[in-house]
Amino acid sequence: MDKFELVPYFNEALFIPALRARTKESVLEELVDCFVQAKFLRNPTIALEMVHRREQLGSTGIGHGIAIPHGRTTAAAEVMIAFGYSKNGIDWQAMDGKPVHLMFMVLAPPQELNNRYLPVLGRLVEVLSEPHHRDKFHSVGTYSDFINLLKN
Amino acid sequence: MSGKIKTQIEFLVALQDLDIMIKEIEEVKELGFEVKGEGLSALMGARDDLVQKIKKPLLAAYERLRNRYKRAIVPVKDDNCLGCFMRLPTSITAHGRTDKEVLICENCGRILYWLS
Repeated sequence: MDKFELVPYFNEALFIPALRARTKESVLEELVDCFVQAKFLRNPTIALEMVHRREQLGSTGIGHGIAIPHGRTTAAAEVMIAFGYSKNGIDWQAMDGKPVHLMFMVLAPPQELNNRYLPVLGRLVEVLSEPHHRDKFHSVGTYSDFINLLKN
Repeated sequence: MSGKIKTQIEFLVALQDLDIMIKEIEEVKELGFEVKGEGLSALMGARDDLVQKIKKPLLAAYERLRNRYKRAIVPVKDDNCLGCFMRLPTSITAHGRTDKEVLICENCGRILYWLS
């Protein structure tokens, strides 16, 4: 899967260039609510429960200012990724202990025809592991900039 | 967290999501995500708590369906059961979106959850 193939899993309605939330809990709520507003989810309660449980298993803060909260939920219709940016950073209990600025929430249904969830999650980790690449996400202000960065 | 979940169908869906999470732990770990030993214990504890909140006949149905189909609860989209792809009768679709009742597909027997 190349970088371009991640693009279909993003949506402008799931792009938050400046998160209002200031804590990990409230960021999870804001991102889940974004899925609801964009009509990708009907009821936020189920998805929120799932992402909270996932954080109990271990922080999804992978280091270098990045968190990828994720999981499968019966409430999701398809694999989708929401992006949120926090300029001040959020305490996410990340692997390296540093505050998180870039948050990518990946939601997926329990079963998918093409079984893309884990490959998408893996590709996202791979893309964001490249220092040169991930630093550029800090300066994206618009959705088109964001998508162009993914494409390039 | 689970305080916000109130109805039996919501408890069942949360249980299914948790079971899937537990099953996929190794794959997620291989991608580089942190998985703590105590985190898994916490999930197992959360599962026990959820199970206590589900009525016994529903829990038995969930486990039976999970053994048979892997996924006991399936989404409903455009009034179709996405487990067996049969169109659901209006007697069922009229009640599904409220999450107040646990509804079953008359064709395949799976528990239904409305996506929209």
